[in-house]
Amino acid sequence: MSKDDNLPRILIVDDEMPIQRFLHTTLDTGEFSLHQAESGHAALAATVATHPDIILLDLGLPDMDGIEVIRRIREWSHVPIIVLSVRDREDDKVTALDAGADDYLSKPFGVAELQARIRGALRRSVQLAPEPVYRVDELEVDLSRRRVIVRGEEVQLTPTEYDLLRLLVIHSGKVLTHSQILKQIWGVGYVEQPHVLRVNISNLRRKIENDASRPHYISTEPGVGYRMRSCD
Amino acid sequence: MRRAVSYISVLVLTLIATLFCEALRPYISPTNMVMVYLVAVVLASLRLGLKQAILTAFLGVLAFDFFFVPPRLTFSVADKEYLVTFLGFFVVGVVISSLVAKVQDRAEKLKEREAETASLYRLSRDLAVAADMHSVAASIVKNVESSLDAGAVLFLVDGEKLAVAEASIGWNENIEAEKVAQWSFKSQRPAGVGTSIFPLSELLFMPLQVLDTPLGVLGIRFNTEPESRFEQLRHLLEAFSTQSALALERVRLSRQAEHAQILKARENLERALLNSVSHDLRTPLVTITGVLSTIRTTENPLSEKNLHELVDTAWEEAGRLNRFVGNLLDMTRLEAGELKLKLETCDVQDLVGCALASVENRLGTRTVDVRLPPELLLARMDLVLMTQVLVNLIDNAVKYSPPESPVEITASADEAHLTMEVADRGPGIPEHDLTRIFDKFHRISVPEGASGTGLGLSICKGIVEAHGGRIYAENRTGGGLRLVVQLPQKGERDV
Repeated sequence: MSKDDNLPRILIVDDEMPIQRFLHTTLDTGEFSLHQAESGHAALAATVATHPDIILLDLGLPDMDGIEVIRRIREWSHVPIIVLSVRDREDDKVTALDAGADDYLSKPFGVAELQARIRGALRRSVQLAPEPVYRVDELEVDLSRRRVIVRGEEVQLTPTEYDLLRLLVIHSGKVLTHSQILKQIWGVGYVEQPHVLRVNISNLRRKIENDASRPHYISTEPGVGYRMRSCD
Repeated sequence: MRRAVSYISVLVLTLIATLFCEALRPYISPTNMVMVYLVAVVLASLRLGLKQAILTAFLGVLAFDFFFVPPRLTFSVADKEYLVTFLGFFVVGVVISSLVAKVQDRAEKLKEREAETASLYRLSRDLAVAADMHSVAASIVKNVESSLDAGAVLFLVDGEKLAVAEASIGWNENIEAEKVAQWSFKSQRPAGVGTSIFPLSELLFMPLQVLDTPLGVLGIRFNTEPESRFEQLRHLLEAFSTQSALALERVRLSRQAEHAQILKARENLERALLNSVSHDLRTPLVTITGVLSTIRTTENPLSEKNLHELVDTAWEEAGRLNRFVGNLLDMTRLEAGELKLKLETCDVQDLVGCALASVENRLGTRTVDVRLPPELLLARMDLVLMTQVLVNLIDNAVKYSPPESPVEITASADEAHLTMEVADRGPGIPEHDLTRIFDKFHRISVPEGASGTGLGLSICKGIVEAHGGRIYAENRTGGGLRLVVQLPQKGERDV
């Protein structure tokens, strides 16, 4: 194991052996050191013992609720947690994200996507301050100068739109739930009024997207929240 | 009370006859005055009854003797011939009275029977139109109330026990009465007031049975003193009970038949489901397994390019399998009524974007024209489910139209509705299939045998209807099919 010491440690928590095996095989590229747990309690113990850099967590564990696992880990650790959840359980995803999970992947998923999420989460966890300039394709957001440039031209945003874009950019690549965004931008009192957010997202898209019907930068995760396209 | 009035009437009648005779006294002989008294007797027998008529005759004799037979104002009779007049008058009076009484009695009976027939007719008419157990029970109770001037409570067999199925207003749970009802049900004999069993009960219970099948008990609470009516009512009550029992039995049997039919339909559907599911689950698996087995073989003569192609096919098939399982789950949830809408105000453009994002890799090179009004279009809906609807509609359009033809998505709104359309330039469908394409597992026959699950559109229908909206298909002028979704909006578009 000594050769693995400097590699990012990934803790895979899933009780399904085929999935464990699949994840192990596909992630065993020499980039990561892999650890596994088959239950919630084992996951908590392994988190303490191995100090993983990232946790892949299946929500349907035999001994305890995956959400509970997230809560317990979050009591003392900021380790990025990526939830692996089955399709059409939007409520579970939102609960997991609001409980402190960093991201989620709907089963079944492709390996490329999984690796991208892992890399994104690792990058965010080591990054202390956000990059002052976010640049993806034809969009450039300069956080230090509050400037937004689309296709070479500066775009005027309302203060709220800018705050919203800034929040998304800081967390680019990560999904933010409606309530997380509402709390940050409008305050706790607005958590039950998601239409404010929808209207602002729509306006923002009209200003920065080429085709607002096929958004490229800000994607909607139906029933969950929004995700800003990642820099890489 | 009525009796006292009738006897006073007797006195009054006699008095009037006497006064009348007094007025006529100068003109007619006393013997003919008997005729006047006879009229009084006839009137009494018509209006007051047999006993009163006889009394009138008797009083008539006395009054006649006292006032008119000399010596007047005494009961003594000078001419003994009058004794014959007295006797004759009295006998004729009694005979007339009893004849009239008999005729009236017969008329009364006839009227009663007529009323009985009418009430039975009303009951049978009401029962004939009652289609389910509840309305049969309701019309039984209603008819008892109106025909018998009574309150009613109907106990029916519910599993092993008797339970109140219907009752007149004012019926309260009554343990004593239920005990009597139980007894009547078990022994299949009338019980309660008016019978020899539990005569102190307030209600009379009639068992309802057909052949040997006990169905329940009908309890009757008479509003007026019933004692005198029991005998005459027995016939009617029995007829009522028989008719009620027959109607209940009829509904029970038809419900059984209906149940059997539903079971059969469900069986057919389940068989269709099983066939379809096993086919749709297997087909992708065949490809995936085939590809995997090819790769698994070590002596692999495949070129890099062929290998890629194979893996791509398996990947696509796996996606299809995943979508199919998703559809099956959606369908199951819809049918189990477990679908809970999370209604939110959504941007329709966002909805279209979500749907397009999720079908993106299946669109290939096909163009999708999205036409939305320039202003922000907000609508109340469950975004996740409506995305599913739009995805299924787009999938459907892609599946049934030539690869190079465009798919068009439009949306518009007025005060009351959000209307969305997904239109293709495929072959369209025959008119008679326009509604059937939303049926579960209905697949229109296309030459190439498109690989659908036959679930997509029925899921759309389920979701749209859960929103209180409607979905329909129409052929486009110029060829192609248009699928239209309308969601009601209750003026909540404005933010």
